[in-house]
Amino acid sequence: MKTLLALICVSSVLGAIAAEKSEIPSCCAPAPAALVFKASCCVEEKPAAPLTDKSLYQLNSAWTNDAGGSVALTTLRGRPVLIAMFFASCEYACPVLVNDLKRLEAALPEDVRGNVQLVLVTFDTKRDTPPALRAFRERMELGPQWTLLTSTPSAVQELAMLLGVKFKQDSRGQFAHSNLITVLNAEGEIVHQHAGLQGDVSTAAKVVAQLPR
Amino acid sequence: MKHPLSARRATALLFLLLAGSPPPVLASEGTVLAKPGATALAAHLPVEKAVLTEAPFVPPPIKRRHPAKVVVELEVREVVKRLSDGVEYTFWTFGGNVPGSFIRVRVGDFVEFHLNNHPSSKVPHNIDLHAVTGPGGGAASSFTAPGYSSQFSFTALNPGLFVYHCATAPVPMHVANGMYGMILVEPENGYPEVDKEFYVMQGEFYTAGRHGEPGLQPFDPAKAEDERAPYIVFNGSVGSLVGDKALKAEVNDRVRIYFGVGGPNVISSFHVIGEIFDTVYQEGGILPSQRQVQTTLVPAGGSTITDFKVDVPGTYVLVDHSLSRAFNKGALGMLKVTGPENHLIYSGKEVDAVYLGAASEAASVAGRREAELMISKEKAIAASPEIANLTQEIRLERGKKVYLASCFACHMATGEGLPNVFPPLAKSDYLKADKDRAIKVVLKGMSGPITVNGSAYNNMMPPQEVTDDQAADVLTYVMNSWGNDFGNVSASDVRRVRAETR
Amino acid sequence: MAPTLLRSSSLRSFRRMLAAAVVWGGLLVFTSARSEVAAPVGMTFIPAGTYEPQLRSKDEPDKVPVEAFWLDARPVTNAEFLEFVRTHPQWQRSKVSALFADRGYLADWAGDLELGEAASAAAPVVRVSWFAARAFAQAEGKRLPTTAEWERAAAAGFTQPDGASEAGFSAYVLSWLSRPGIARLPAAGSGRPNVFGARDLHGLVWEWVDDFNTAMTTGESRADTGLERNLFCGAGAAGARNLTDYPAFMRAGLRSSVRANYCVPNLGFRCAQDLAPASENSP
Repeated sequence: MKTLLALICVSSVLGAIAAEKSEIPSCCAPAPAALVFKASCCVEEKPAAPLTDKSLYQLNSAWTNDAGGSVALTTLRGRPVLIAMFFASCEYACPVLVNDLKRLEAALPEDVRGNVQLVLVTFDTKRDTPPALRAFRERMELGPQWTLLTSTPSAVQELAMLLGVKFKQDSRGQFAHSNLITVLNAEGEIVHQHAGLQGDVSTAAKVVAQLPR
Repeated sequence: MKHPLSARRATALLFLLLAGSPPPVLASEGTVLAKPGATALAAHLPVEKAVLTEAPFVPPPIKRRHPAKVVVELEVREVVKRLSDGVEYTFWTFGGNVPGSFIRVRVGDFVEFHLNNHPSSKVPHNIDLHAVTGPGGGAASSFTAPGYSSQFSFTALNPGLFVYHCATAPVPMHVANGMYGMILVEPENGYPEVDKEFYVMQGEFYTAGRHGEPGLQPFDPAKAEDERAPYIVFNGSVGSLVGDKALKAEVNDRVRIYFGVGGPNVISSFHVIGEIFDTVYQEGGILPSQRQVQTTLVPAGGSTITDFKVDVPGTYVLVDHSLSRAFNKGALGMLKVTGPENHLIYSGKEVDAVYLGAASEAASVAGRREAELMISKEKAIAASPEIANLTQEIRLERGKKVYLASCFACHMATGEGLPNVFPPLAKSDYLKADKDRAIKVVLKGMSGPITVNGSAYNNMMPPQEVTDDQAADVLTYVMNSWGNDFGNVSASDVRRVRAETR
Repeated sequence: MAPTLLRSSSLRSFRRMLAAAVVWGGLLVFTSARSEVAAPVGMTFIPAGTYEPQLRSKDEPDKVPVEAFWLDARPVTNAEFLEFVRTHPQWQRSKVSALFADRGYLADWAGDLELGEAASAAAPVVRVSWFAARAFAQAEGKRLPTTAEWERAAAAGFTQPDGASEAGFSAYVLSWLSRPGIARLPAAGSGRPNVFGARDLHGLVWEWVDDFNTAMTTGESRADTGLERNLFCGAGAAGARNLTDYPAFMRAGLRSSVRANYCVPNLGFRCAQDLAPASENSP
C-alpha cells in the first residue's frame, strides 16, 4: 500500500516536471539586408551597388506573383515603380485605384511609359491566392508591365507600414484601407505619394517623368 | 449598443476628423515632399522669420505693404507651472506658456508653419488655426508624435484676429490643458494705430480639487464635461495680470486689447472696470462694428479687439463680467495707468485698496509663502524635530495675511499707524501692557481717548469679523513684528476673552 | 508500516493522504494539459474575452472576441534589449537602416552596446521602432500583441476584471496623462499587477502593438469630408465607443501619429505569444 502511494506521488511529480520542460521554439530575427543584391535577367545591367538607406528593397521577404512564381522585391530594382495595395474582392475603391494607375500610366511621356513597372500588392493574403490574382488581372485587363503580389500577412504588414498604407479587416471580410499610389525610383526609394481616388494625377506623372533614367 | 449615427457620434467624428494623420512618408529624413505648386507660388516672396511673443505682449505692427513668406516655428511643451498660490498643474502649451505665442502676419502672407512636439511630451499634438482655410485648419497636416516635427503651409487669405488651438482628440482635454493662442492677420493697411497693445486670453481649468486646493492637480474629465470649472482665468493662472504683472499704460494712451477665449467651454462677457470701449471690432473681425461699449460678448474659440483711450490714472480691472468667475475663479486682471490726475473726469482712490483678500498682491505673497511653509513643515516633521520654529513662522505668516486684509489700512504695513489719527502697533506700550485688552479690542473694537507711546489718540476702531484662529494669528503677528516681542496669543485665549466679553 | 496504516484508527489519515496525493497529482496533470507549453518565463495568462474598440466603422461589431494568450508581465527592459542587439548586430544603433529605425533609435543609450547614465538597465526600453520591437519578439519566439489583445489586457483593473467598474481605476489611468514626462523612467514591472498579473500597462510608457496602423481616423461619410472618404475606402462612418474614455482616445491618437520606423521617447513594447505554438506566418 505504501509502495502504491509512493508510486502515485512520484509519477505525478515526474509528470509535472516533464510538462514544464517543453522547449520554446526560437527563431532567428529576419535581418534587414542592407547589402542584398539579387542579380536577375529581368533587371538591366547595373553595378552591384548596395541598397541605400531609404530603399524599400531592404525588405528581404519572399513574395509570390499571380503566376505562382516567387519574387524578391529587389527584382524591381532598376526601373521606376508605381505601387499600390488592394484586395481582389474590393467593392468600391480598388477598381477605381487601378483605374487611377492606368490614368497615371497614360499621362506619362511615351519613352517613360515603357520603362515603368506597376505593382499591386494584396492585403487579403488568405483569399487572394495566385489563381485569384490571375482572375483579377484578366478582369481588369492588366498587361505584362503589371505585377501582382501576395505574401505572408507579416510581410504584407511590413510593406504597408513602409508605404504608410493603413488597412483593417472588418467583420464581413472586407478591408477598410487608405488609397495611396506610391512612386519608387529605380533604387526603391519613395519619391512621391498620391493620396485619394480620382484625383489629379499630373503631379505624380511629372515626378515620374523627371526621374533619372 | 449598435445604433445609427447619432449626434454624439457625429461630434466625435468631427474631432476624429480634426486629429488628422501623421506626416507623409519622407523620401529622406528631414526633407519634406513639398507639393511643387505651393513652393513655386511662394518662391518670389521675401522670407522672414515670424516674431512670436508671450502674453501679454504683442509683436510690433507690420510695416511692410506687400506679402511675404513668414516662417513660424512653434514648439509644443508639456510643463508643470503655477495655476494659483500653492496650486500646480501640468499645462500643455504652445511655446511653454498659456496662452500660446502670439503670431502676427499680414493678409496675403504665405505662412510656412513648423510644429515641433518636444520629446518630453506624453502625447501627440497638432494645431488648428482659425485663420487657415483648409482641412482641419491645419490639424490634418500637423499631427505630431512626441519628439517629432510637422510642417505645412498656408496663405493667410482672411484678415482678422483668430484663435488657434490643438485639435487632437479628446479636444476638450487638450484645450482645457492650455493649448490655445491667437494669430493676428492684419488687413492690408493694418488696424488704426494705437499706443499700447496687449494680448489677453481667457480659459478654464478643470482640476480634480476645489478652487485653491493645493498640490499638483490632475485634470477632471467629469467636471470638464459638465462645464463646472473651478478656475476661470486670464493668461493661464490666477493673478497673471495682477500687481507687478499688471498691464501698464500712461494717461492719454490709446490702448488696444486683443482678447480671446480659448475655452474650452465658456464664453466671456469682457469688460474693463472704469473704462468704456471706444471701438469694438466685434468677434475679432476687421469692421469697427460698435462704439462706446461697456461689455462685449466673446465666443468660446473666438476673439474681440477693443480700443479705448485712458484719460485718468488708476487701476482698471479687466473681468469676465459673469462675476462669480471674476471674484471666485480668477477671471480678473489689471491695467495700471500712470500720469497726471484729472479730477474733472475722476477723483477717486486707487482700485488696489478695494480688492482685499486674494486679490491683494501682498496678501497673495503671504499666501504663497504660507503654502511654501506648509510644505516645508511636512518635510521637517518627517526629517527632524525642529517643528516649533516652523509652526510659529506659519502662525506669523497667517497672521500677516489677516493683517494685510484688514488692519494695515489704518495701522499701515509696518505698524507705524498715522500720527494723531491711528495709533502705532510697532513698539506700542499700550499693546504690550495688556494681552487680554488687545484681544478685546480686536473682537469688540474700541473708541475714546487713549495714550500710546506718549501720544494721545481719540478715534474709533470697528470690531473685526474674525474667527478665533484668525484673531489669535493676527495678534501673534502684531505682537512679534516690527521689534515687538510681546509673546503669543492662542485661539483658546481668544475664546476665553470672547466668552467673557459677550 | 503498511499493516499499521490499514488499522482502522489510522485509516482516516491514510485516506486523507491519498486524497491529497490524487488532488495534487491531478492538478499538476490538469494544468500542464491546459497549456500546450507551460507558462513561459515572465509571461502571464490573459484569458479569452472581448475588446470594445474605441474607434470602429458602422459595419464592425462593437465587441471583438479575443482568444486567450500569453502576455509579458512587464515591458521589455533596456538590459534585455541590449542583449538582443549584442546577438543581432544588424539592430545596433550605428548599423540599422533608417528605413527600419529613424535617427531617434536608442538615442538615450550611450553607445551601440552601452546603456550609459540616461538609460537604466531595469527601465523599459524606449525609442525603438516597430520593426525593432518585432525583431526582438521574433528572436524570443514571440510576437507583438495586437491592439485587441493589448486593450483587452489593459481594460482589467487591479481588483476587478473590468477596470471601468473599479472605483478609482479610470482616474488612475488618466492621472498619468496629467503628470509631466520624466527624464529617467522607473524600473519596468514596479507597478501594481492587474487582475491578470500584468504590470505597467498604464502609467509607464506607451506600447507598440502589431497592427497599430489600424487606429485610423476616418471621416463621416455624410459630412463634408471628401478628403477622408477618398483616403479611406471601406465601410464608411466611424464612431467612438465612449466619448469620456479619454485615455482610449489618447492611445488611439498615439497609434495614429506614428510610423513604423519612429522611435518615440516614451514608446516601448512587450511581447505576446499564442497559447498553442503557431507557425510565425499563420493568419
